[in-house]
Amino acid sequence: MAKLTRRGFIGQTTASVATIGVLATVPTLVAAPEMTDIVASDTAAAELSATTFSESVVAHVSNLASGEVTIMSGTKEIILRDADLVMRLLKAVR
Amino acid sequence: MSSHREAPEISKDPVADSTDLYAFVSPDQPDNVTIIANYVPLEEPAGGPNFYEFGDDVLYEIKIDNDGDGDDDIIYQFRFQTRTRNPNSFLYNTGQITAIDSPNWNRPQFYSVTRVDEHGKSTELASDLACPPCNIGPRSTPNYQDLAEHAIHNLPGGGRVFAGQRAEGFYVDLGSIFDLATLRPFENLHLIPSPAKPGVNGTEGYNVHSIAIEIPKKFLTKDGSNPTDPKSPNSVIGVYTSASRRKASILQGNGEDVDTGPWVQVSRLGEPLINEVIIPLGKKDFWNSQDPQHDSQFDQYYDHPELAKLLPVLYPGVFPHLAAYTKDRVDLEAILLTGIPSGIIPGFQNFTGTTQADFLRLNMAIPPSSKPNILGILGGDLAGFPNGRRVFDDIVAVELRAVAGVTIPLVDPSFTPDAAAGAINDFIPVQIPNGVRYAKHFPFLGEPFSGYESRPHEV
Repeated sequence: MAKLTRRGFIGQTTASVATIGVLATVPTLVAAPEMTDIVASDTAAAELSATTFSESVVAHVSNLASGEVTIMSGTKEIILRDADLVMRLLKAVR
Repeated sequence: MSSHREAPEISKDPVADSTDLYAFVSPDQPDNVTIIANYVPLEEPAGGPNFYEFGDDVLYEIKIDNDGDGDDDIIYQFRFQTRTRNPNSFLYNTGQITAIDSPNWNRPQFYSVTRVDEHGKSTELASDLACPPCNIGPRSTPNYQDLAEHAIHNLPGGGRVFAGQRAEGFYVDLGSIFDLATLRPFENLHLIPSPAKPGVNGTEGYNVHSIAIEIPKKFLTKDGSNPTDPKSPNSVIGVYTSASRRKASILQGNGEDVDTGPWVQVSRLGEPLINEVIIPLGKKDFWNSQDPQHDSQFDQYYDHPELAKLLPVLYPGVFPHLAAYTKDRVDLEAILLTGIPSGIIPGFQNFTGTTQADFLRLNMAIPPSSKPNILGILGGDLAGFPNGRRVFDDIVAVELRAVAGVTIPLVDPSFTPDAAAGAINDFIPVQIPNGVRYAKHFPFLGEPFSGYESRPHEV
């Protein structure tokens, strides 16, 4: 089974939708189990809002050392490398 | 057991726990194949008020490889949806359930069937199909047979489907086999001996949840033909079932979960007893997560199975030839990982190529037997296990005997099996034990035991 656990995720829904806005400024797509349009232009990303993004979104810091964040929505999954985002998330839960 | 509670993680998740897989040419519709994937192990029939059901949050699949590469070519997907008609009642049924659409059934379950072809194209074959209720008792479900028959649905283009509770068809002396592999009929020979006695069916009186689908053979072959030549590779399919959950699940604290992310396989099953007996404890959860096409990574456990080493220790002096055999168990690799090539058993092959994969392999050109032998091919019946698996096949005896060495001469004529190897059984005589129910027609597993009437393991 995957090593992820049900309780191993740190964010979802509205908090994670806000996270997507942050990601759009610095994202580095390091792996893409399923490629999505999430790395579209800053303008397009800025237009995302809770009303246009109805799916639940879960962000999981999958590798602290390398700053990897796994983001899941629907049946899609992308992995971003964003050390700054990871640091901000860690500060938020401290 | 066959694959009931066979790995640490899945034993905590019964609705996703595949217990048995069957695949055989339908005896009453020989142009069709019936595949049955069972889930939810050891259902105690009186287990209310929340009786058993499939998981709405689980993706159930039956996957078929028809070109021998170990990868899925055809997938049948099953998704369930449960409704609560009256959320203000605690009852499963608020009166008699006399029809499958009875408003008295408070927790009806429905499902869809989707077929995915080799190009990944999905076609929903049917939706909103009704499951039958669980068999509660004579007051709640007074004509259960009629309810179950109304839960058999025709599929477009041919074939039928059923999903719901059935009687457990798999039989094994569960209590003895996990007590240091003692076999009651032979436990006078065990390292810790006691008088020999008849075996006990450990699953007697329990139910299971079955997904049964009858599929025209021509929908399963690579070239779309109805196979008639047992020697042709086109006649052989590899089958397995899997259950998957979404990668992320958030417990919101209000009784509702949020599930998201890609599907992650948490259970799979092809040949019986593989993850149960062949795969070691430290690999079982990992094995469940893997696709069969990568099963060569596990071949060391087939080559030198732990049980083959234990038998001579637990039954001192009974298996001297097995104890002395140190070669790789190529016989088990062939039977369980690639299928049996032509030229080994007269008139038979179910070889799917050199790719090692845990599939139940069925040669669809072998017609159903008019006089089935529950020992299948070991009993001279080419229509039985390990040519697919029928609901009544005694796979415990067959696999115990194979592990004990009776199949080694198929690939290594220099080996003479121990005399005891061919006699191993957890039941004497070799016959279907009392308390197991089957049906002569689709879905072939019998009417489930009712909660009111059943007495599992009565003492």
